[in-house]
Amino acid sequence: MPQSSFNKAVVTAIVTCVPPCEKRIDDEIELFGGNVKQIERIKKTIGLNKRRVVDKQTTALDLCELAALQLLADTGIDLTTIDAVLCVTQTPDHLQPCNAAILQGRLGLSPHCAAFDVGLGCSGYVYGLWLGHMMIQAGSCKRVLILAGDTLSRLVHSKDRAVAPLFGDGGSATLLECSEVERGAWFNLGTDGSGVPHLIVPAGGARLPLSNATNVAREDESGNFRSDENLFMDGAEVFNFSIQVVPASVRATLKFAGVEPDEVDYFVFHQANRYILSNIAKRLKIDTTKVPMQTVERYGNQSSASIPSAMCGELREVLCGDDVQRVLLSGFGVGLSWGSALLEIGQLSVCKVIEYERA
Amino acid sequence: MRPLKKFIEDFEASMEEVEPGALSAETEFKGLKSWDSLAILTVTDTVEFEYGVLLRKDDFTDSVTLAQLYHLIEAKLGA
Repeated sequence: MPQSSFNKAVVTAIVTCVPPCEKRIDDEIELFGGNVKQIERIKKTIGLNKRRVVDKQTTALDLCELAALQLLADTGIDLTTIDAVLCVTQTPDHLQPCNAAILQGRLGLSPHCAAFDVGLGCSGYVYGLWLGHMMIQAGSCKRVLILAGDTLSRLVHSKDRAVAPLFGDGGSATLLECSEVERGAWFNLGTDGSGVPHLIVPAGGARLPLSNATNVAREDESGNFRSDENLFMDGAEVFNFSIQVVPASVRATLKFAGVEPDEVDYFVFHQANRYILSNIAKRLKIDTTKVPMQTVERYGNQSSASIPSAMCGELREVLCGDDVQRVLLSGFGVGLSWGSALLEIGQLSVCKVIEYERA
Repeated sequence: MRPLKKFIEDFEASMEEVEPGALSAETEFKGLKSWDSLAILTVTDTVEFEYGVLLRKDDFTDSVTLAQLYHLIEAKLGA
C-alpha cells in the first residue's frame, strides 16, 4: 500500500473551468419514459439535478487551458519558473501526443519543463497531487502545474439512463509550489483491477479500435442504449465499491497522519453524487457540514475535475483565508482506482470557478 | 445478528411507498411496486451499514422472499 508523507510542497492556487451550457434532469422526461415520479425519486434519493456539458468542439484540454491561463494571470507567476506540467485525464485530445505536451506549447511554458499525462479519472486528481508532491520533495521541481479535467458527457449515450444524467464536464488548474514553511501532506492510494468491467469505454484504444461495428448502439435488458464507444457503468457495483473502499482509505490516511477525524476541517470527496457522498459520510460518522456536496448537483460528476471544482465552488472563502485548513481529499472511480490525501492548505492566492469562453 | 422481525423493519424503511408493518417474512420483495434499481441501492446500503454484509446483484436474483434474503445475509455473515 503506497502510503507516503511530504513536508515541502503546498497548493497555492486553484482555478476550475466549467462549460456554460447547463442541462437539467427535469428537461429529460422522455429519457425516463415520461415517468415524472421516477425523476423526482432520482432527484431526492441520488441528488441528481443540473450538469454542465461541452459542445462537440470543446475538449477537456480546452477547459484546462482556460483554467491554467486564468491561474497564471491571477498569480502573475513567471512562466519560466514552472518545472513540470502534468495532465490528469481519461479524455485526451489524441491517442498521442499527450495533453501535457500540447498545453506546454499552448501556454508558452519553458522547453525545460517536464510534461506528461496521467491516465486516471475520478481518482486522478489525488494521484496528480501525489506525483507533484514527490517531484517537489525530491528537489527536481519548484513549481508544478497540475491540470485535471474530463469531458465524459461526450462519451455517454444520450439514451443511457445509468450515465447520461450523471456526468458533467470540467477542467482545472492547480499550482503546487515548494514551500518555505513546512506543510504536511499524507497520501494513501489503491487499485482493484478486478473492477475494470464496471466502468469502461470498451472501444477506441488498441484492444478494440473504432470501426463501423463499435459505433452501433444496442438496447440492454434495462432498456438503455449504448455502443462500444460509449461509457458503460454498473452503478450498483460502483456504489458497493465506493462505500467499502473510500471509508477505509480515509481512515487509513488519517491514522497514518496521526490525525483524528474531528481534527479535519473539510472532507472533499470526488463529487460522484449526493447519495454516495452521504453514505460515505455516514460510515465515517463525520458531520455533513464538513462535506461539500453542492458541486455535483450544480455541475454533474466532473470526473478528475470534481475535487478542485468542489474546492473552488464551495470552499473558496476558507481556502483563501488566513488560517491553514486540514483538508482530506478522496477520489475514487474508473480502474477501479482510489486515492486519499490529507493536506494542510490555506492562504490560496486564487480559488475560483470560471465559465468557458472560446477564445 | 439482528432478528428477522427487525430485518423486515429495516427493509421497509429502505423502500419508497412501503408502510411500516406492510411486509412479512413471506413477502416476495421483487414483486413490490417500488422495487427497482434505486431500491437495490438503498437496500444494499442498509444491509451493509446495519449488518456488515455486502449484497451483490445475484443475491437479489437468488432470493424470492424476505426470509430467504435474511437467511442469505445470515449465511454470508457466518462464512
